[in-house]
Amino acid sequence: MSDRVAADQLRDLQRITDAALAYLPLEALLEELLVRAVAILNVDTAAILILEDDEMTLVPRAAKGLEEEVERAIRIPVGRGFAGRIAATRQPVQIRDLSKAEVVNPILREKGLHSLLGVPLLVEGGVVGVLHVGTLTERVFNEDEKELLQSAADRAALAIYSRLTERERGLADSLQRSLMPRLPELPAVSLAGRYMPAAAARLGGDWYDAFQLPDGRLGLAIGDVVGHGFHAAAIMGQLRSGLRAYALDGMGPGDVLSKLSRLLRQIEPGRTATLVYGILDAHGGRLTVAAAGHPPPLVRSGEETSYVDMPPSVPLGASRHVLYDDLVLEHSPGSALVLYTDGLLERPGESLDKGLERLRSLVGESEEDLEHLGDRVLDVLLPEGAGDDDAALLMVRALPLDAELQEGFPAEIESIPGMRRLLGRWLIEVGATRPEIDDLTLAAAEAAANAIEHAYGLAPGVVELRASVSKDGTVTVLVRDFGNWRSPRGANRGRGMMLMEGLTDAVEVIRRDEGTTVELSRKLGVAAAA
Amino acid sequence: MRVDYHDLVGVASLSGEFDLVQVNALRDRLLGAVRNEDHGLVVDLSGATYIDSVGVSLLFELAERLEERQLRLAVVIPEDGLVDRVLRIVNLASVAAIHPNVDGALADLG
Repeated sequence: MSDRVAADQLRDLQRITDAALAYLPLEALLEELLVRAVAILNVDTAAILILEDDEMTLVPRAAKGLEEEVERAIRIPVGRGFAGRIAATRQPVQIRDLSKAEVVNPILREKGLHSLLGVPLLVEGGVVGVLHVGTLTERVFNEDEKELLQSAADRAALAIYSRLTERERGLADSLQRSLMPRLPELPAVSLAGRYMPAAAARLGGDWYDAFQLPDGRLGLAIGDVVGHGFHAAAIMGQLRSGLRAYALDGMGPGDVLSKLSRLLRQIEPGRTATLVYGILDAHGGRLTVAAAGHPPPLVRSGEETSYVDMPPSVPLGASRHVLYDDLVLEHSPGSALVLYTDGLLERPGESLDKGLERLRSLVGESEEDLEHLGDRVLDVLLPEGAGDDDAALLMVRALPLDAELQEGFPAEIESIPGMRRLLGRWLIEVGATRPEIDDLTLAAAEAAANAIEHAYGLAPGVVELRASVSKDGTVTVLVRDFGNWRSPRGANRGRGMMLMEGLTDAVEVIRRDEGTTVELSRKLGVAAAA
Repeated sequence: MRVDYHDLVGVASLSGEFDLVQVNALRDRLLGAVRNEDHGLVVDLSGATYIDSVGVSLLFELAERLEERQLRLAVVIPEDGLVDRVLRIVNLASVAAIHPNVDGALADLG
């Protein structure tokens, strides 16, 4: 073969692959490539094997004259046999006489092949597969032919790699989506989250989560597992589940972090993660928070926007016996809490302090609406998308309540803690004292329990809560159902009525065809009638 | 819930919110805290911040069960809180000895 002919053939080969890369499905492209290789090199067979995800097995993907190889789904261990040796050494291998060589694949012998030449499919120095050609008569391949085959292999490798990364990207997207929570909908609480994947790695270790605890409070978490890729994302998924499990068990933030640190050390020793977990109690106007090596939460309250002064802490997994402490903060209605990961702040060659200041002033001067705030923070801080690191943002704000409270709840006992908390928050805003809040929320909870147990049976229904305060400071709470009233039964409900009466000034039960309303009233600023 | 035994009296300490959601989980553990040889049971509500009618009914049920076996119930209640107000309204004192602290309750049952 002259240089001239070889060069033309090479161009020929490149042309088909370049054009094909754009639109041919991978199988068709590889097929076409093999047809060309067989014709140009004048051989009898050609096959492409692809390395499995485990990087230990080669499987045939396309073949000419060796179709049985693909059909039978032969699996060849890396390091063994002809193709296995090529993958292991990343070097071309030539076999002049197959009868004297070790092969794993029985089809090569069954077909009566005599000579073989194989080259690795390489992408960025890593093996993704093997391309080999064979002849039924003895053949010695020269250097030009080896080069030609290698260049076909390079084309195939690129095509395979780009399809694989495409598939990986699809997986990455759906994995990441499945790990981002559906934010809970709570009355008078606004929640918004944002996630920005890293530019290159696609999958990252950042996440956020928000969920309602059984007692009606709101759990909020944001974290950053060190590293990128599927593995970091998988660890993140495990930490996220662990956090929810511990949190739903009623543990405080510091205890949850201490447990998670132990969990992470067991899942993967040496891996670390930073995390903030907080519990927002809108009822008590309180935020309980703990951090593990994570940048501090940001709070915007009225005109002031500042970082929470968290005590120094180590990341999860970094130390064997570590206990994280809770910090309890006042959190007044209307205040916004912003949790974030450092991917939002970091810019090359800049200190973290500058990034923190940028976020603080941005949050301070932005609109109150959290969806707008989230968009603006991403637009301004990551104008070209995320950099090397992914970024997450979780924002929550207890909305100021209307002078007259009105909210519907599913008629199930799990609604009661949240209902109590909402009423409690409204009572704070109308200036009730702690004992008044405790008494009225308990009385309302008893009325709601009555409605849930006696108005609906097992059918789904709604319980409505209304509250208002008159000019003379008398609070009226209405708990209304839309079911068929049946009289409370058993000592339990008798005691419920006893409590409603004991904790308020007056209880009135108004029965109508369309449902029952329990009206509780109490004048603020004086001791209860009991 | 935590249970400590002082000679022949168990002290079951409940903290946080003793409401209808919690009660179902606590019921069996509370009833099971009484050993065969015990003289009685102290339920320590010092750390409890909330109790509703379902929680109240569990205390009444506990008192009734103990009485059937000639045992006594003492309840430790933090003064001046919601729990104190609630248990006064339902008159828990009619079935259990009320004490401001665990030592007093133990002395009473011992």
